[in-house]
Amino acid sequence: MRLFSLRLKLETLLAVLLILVISSATGTQEENIVSRDEGSEVGRSESSGLDVESLSRDESLSLSSVTSAETESLTSEKSITSEEPVVSTPSIHWDESIGVNEDVSYQFDEKLTLRPLPNNFLQSSFMFEMNSTEFTPGVSSIDFDKYSHYTVFPKVFNSILHTTSARKLQIRFTRGFWDAESWGRLPHDGFKAGGSGVELWAVIEADSKEDAYLKWKKLANLLGGIFCASLNFIDSSKTTFPHTSIADDFELPLFDSNKQLFLLRAALANEPVCTENLTPFVKLLPTKGKSGISTLLDGHKVFDSYWHSLSIDISTRCDATSNICYDHMEANVDVVLHVPSTLSRNEMSIPKPVSGDNLRCDETKFYDAFHCFPKSESTETSYLISKIYGRQLKGSNLISNHPSRVCADVSEDWNILIELNGEYFATDNNCFDLTNNAKNDIYFESSNTTSISKSDDVPVFVSRSLISYGNDRGGLRTVFRNPTNKDVRVKYLEALPWFMRVFLSTMKLETGDEAVEKEELRRLLSSMHYLPAIDRKRPTNLEYDITIPAFSTYVVSYQFEKTLLEFAEYPPDANHGFEVESAVITVVEPVNYQIRTSTLLLVLSTPDFSMPYNVIILSSTVMGLIFGTLFNLLVKRLLTIEEADRIKATSGPKYKLRKLKEKLLSKFAPRKKD
Amino acid sequence: MLYTNEKLVLLAGFTVRLLLSIGFSGLQSSLDNSVEFSTPFTSFKSLQEGIFLLNNGFPLYSGGVVHQSPLLVYFIAFFNSNLAISVLYALIDSIIAYQLLAISKCFRNFQSKSTWYIALLYLFNPLVLLSNISRSSILFSNVAISTALLYSLKGNYLITGVSIAISGYLSLYPLLLVIPLLGILRSNTSRINLLSTVVVTLAILLAVSFNTSGNNWDFIKLNYIALLNFEKLSPNLGLWWYFFIEMFDVFIPFYHSVFNLFVVSFVTPFTIRFYKQPLYAFILSIGWITLTKPYPTLGDCGFFLGFIPFFSPIFGYMKYSAFTTLLFLHAMVLSPIFYHLWVDLGSANSNFFYAISLVYALAIASLIVDLIWAMLRMEYDKGKPDFKSKLTQL
Repeated sequence: MRLFSLRLKLETLLAVLLILVISSATGTQEENIVSRDEGSEVGRSESSGLDVESLSRDESLSLSSVTSAETESLTSEKSITSEEPVVSTPSIHWDESIGVNEDVSYQFDEKLTLRPLPNNFLQSSFMFEMNSTEFTPGVSSIDFDKYSHYTVFPKVFNSILHTTSARKLQIRFTRGFWDAESWGRLPHDGFKAGGSGVELWAVIEADSKEDAYLKWKKLANLLGGIFCASLNFIDSSKTTFPHTSIADDFELPLFDSNKQLFLLRAALANEPVCTENLTPFVKLLPTKGKSGISTLLDGHKVFDSYWHSLSIDISTRCDATSNICYDHMEANVDVVLHVPSTLSRNEMSIPKPVSGDNLRCDETKFYDAFHCFPKSESTETSYLISKIYGRQLKGSNLISNHPSRVCADVSEDWNILIELNGEYFATDNNCFDLTNNAKNDIYFESSNTTSISKSDDVPVFVSRSLISYGNDRGGLRTVFRNPTNKDVRVKYLEALPWFMRVFLSTMKLETGDEAVEKEELRRLLSSMHYLPAIDRKRPTNLEYDITIPAFSTYVVSYQFEKTLLEFAEYPPDANHGFEVESAVITVVEPVNYQIRTSTLLLVLSTPDFSMPYNVIILSSTVMGLIFGTLFNLLVKRLLTIEEADRIKATSGPKYKLRKLKEKLLSKFAPRKKD
Repeated sequence: MLYTNEKLVLLAGFTVRLLLSIGFSGLQSSLDNSVEFSTPFTSFKSLQEGIFLLNNGFPLYSGGVVHQSPLLVYFIAFFNSNLAISVLYALIDSIIAYQLLAISKCFRNFQSKSTWYIALLYLFNPLVLLSNISRSSILFSNVAISTALLYSLKGNYLITGVSIAISGYLSLYPLLLVIPLLGILRSNTSRINLLSTVVVTLAILLAVSFNTSGNNWDFIKLNYIALLNFEKLSPNLGLWWYFFIEMFDVFIPFYHSVFNLFVVSFVTPFTIRFYKQPLYAFILSIGWITLTKPYPTLGDCGFFLGFIPFFSPIFGYMKYSAFTTLLFLHAMVLSPIFYHLWVDLGSANSNFFYAISLVYALAIASLIVDLIWAMLRMEYDKGKPDFKSKLTQL
């Protein structure tokens, strides 16, 4: 069953057209006002914003009666209307005003992409983009009698960017396992996901490395406060200054030409990511989770997933000629849920064993009341997105010049419908623009869930593992596997904690061909940037380039030694081990792609934590014993035992004591006798 | 001149080392990984890392991995083949053995007869042999010490000063041996000459190191300050490691100074007390440094034990030889086992290995105490051994 209702699209189209007409009429006047009176900007924009909002709402209301008639007349021309030029373009052009008064429609955009993955997984990508108001660097807004004005851009980030001079900022909260072998590429080609835990990158404008580090520390503390994350644990022993830059398609501005830009990075491996990070995250959005796609972001569901990633990217972008800048923020939430288990959680919040009649047994094999070989999951499915996320989509964001957009990235075997007031509608490109303020729901239906939309090949698989036997040393082995038919050039970036003393001289490259190995290792070393760790101050920073030929596997390995820590430096669960952050692999050729290895658990040998006093006492005793004996030997006089006895008999404390005793006795004794 | 059997012993020692190091290539790395023969400051692995960093243009001392003197790294980097390094190590150990023989020739007691057993006991002492196979860099410091001793006995202050400065440059604590060396040199002028030679040589070595490591003083921090402050908390046979792991933060600087004072404490007293037997004061000082230094290896102990044959005239006075031997055996046998149980298997904890390090300290201490006692007895008996009379101290 496929419904072709264009009602929604038409609504948006007509609303936009109407706004176009209005703005073209008022646009010139507005510009005049702006140039004449800059001070009253705030008040005016708010009032006019309300005006247009109410207008567009009126429009949609008045149009609703028309649409039903028009829809019927237009159904035959669906191929044309589905290619609506204005609404369906997913790219955002901030500068290209589409005619809406810039004061009223804020530079905010949001999009939700739902993509079924093999084995009944569902990937949801929430994307939010927003811009700050324009400003001129170095010019205080007060000087120009302007108000510091924050619209959709979170006010808190304005002050953070200002106090820490951060020109670019990336925060990643990622947990879970991305099954690249079956799910394919990471969302956003991996550039919006971090390693397991929390990852922070920043480009900071500063005088020197030390200055940059101080600002970075401040930044980490501020962000830790905002996101309720342990970012305050980022210190110099976790911070690296990587050489490979974060991929950028534009140049970052330098406000003071005497200063420099520094790229800093730190990661807290396996830091738990949870609701307390998501709540402030959602609060940063102008919709605050009250309308638009952010209504789906419920911690219970986002974190009840196989893989999830929250990311925030902020950068300052400037126009070189006019020296006008604005801050751009992109927030992403990517979640991979297992649909059957999420749905069953709705029915049984506490997991129970499936009853005997509902067991799905493989009938080709022997089965009875006691034997059951489980059958693979059903390939037929149908679900509402509200069953997955526990909530319905509450309308559009109502704030931007673009409506909230929900897209499903599916193959031919899927039917995607939007549900609105009990009715189901479909579109050709499976994208839905939400313009109303009602509750929407998306319906997924497929008879063959194994068929999913094709994604590009993963250019390289990388896995890293610890190889060791004892707790005093070990090795690190990284396997690069290129499954494609093109040579893949990657940049490898790794930060290791200082208690892993890396011996780079033991580095080996295995390719299966010795001649190639030597040459490749030489090339790898020549591209290498290596900064060894300093105890308690700096992590090892290792970066190199490596090209993996088509259909081949390279293995890079090296050895390290583990040091012991002072007993107070061990965490309370010392025997659990220490998390080692994941390595970052950036593919630069033939495509741009980024992946991270899984984190590692490094087990250090531990001292006995109950021993401090015992050790102090025992060691001191031994030292005292040795010292005392030697001192006596060197200082005392050597003589025969007889001599010693004689001397002892005529001097020494014992002799004196005896004398004293005799003296005393002699005083008392005569009386007794009497 | 050497007797034939002495030459044979030296040759055998050299050949055995060469064969072991070439024939069992895995032995080197496994010994270098063992806690008894390798420390962060002496391991061949960190030397190799230094050479690697040097060859690939990375700064040597920007991190905390290489704790070897820059000139040593340059020196070893010069021998770029495995065989050449094997020959070098075997040769140096044979040189030490030869020098021990030469030292024995300086004494009346040993002059007339062949002293091949001194070389044999050094070269075929398993501690020395294994330490040599592990390519511990302590060997370079040791050869400098034995050279200094030999030439000081010959009265050559120049070579003495240069070699003791080199050994101090390589591992810092041997610098303390200047004090007993001053006792060996009998004239005041040669003493002043020795001191000035040491200072000048050290200054030159440090200046050259400064120059070669890119006009950077970082090597001082990593080679010497790190040693004094016990910055690498790695388990070893010494007294320091567990103490500083378990010590409360605020007291750590205090105990660093206490432990360093402990190292210094007995070198001067030995020299003064045994002013008439300066060689023995020197050997006892070596033993004391072996006992108290922050990162000892069995190689240090083997070197010290190599000098014990010089005490052979007073062996009769020793009271605890059986006890000391048993303590040594106890430590040697149990330390690898307990370390393995703690670090690899996890079925024991660190206290096991700590206990062994205490036993090892007691073993060396009881040897030193016994030797001192024996020397005092000899002094009392004025060179005519009298094992009958019982003596005590007051």
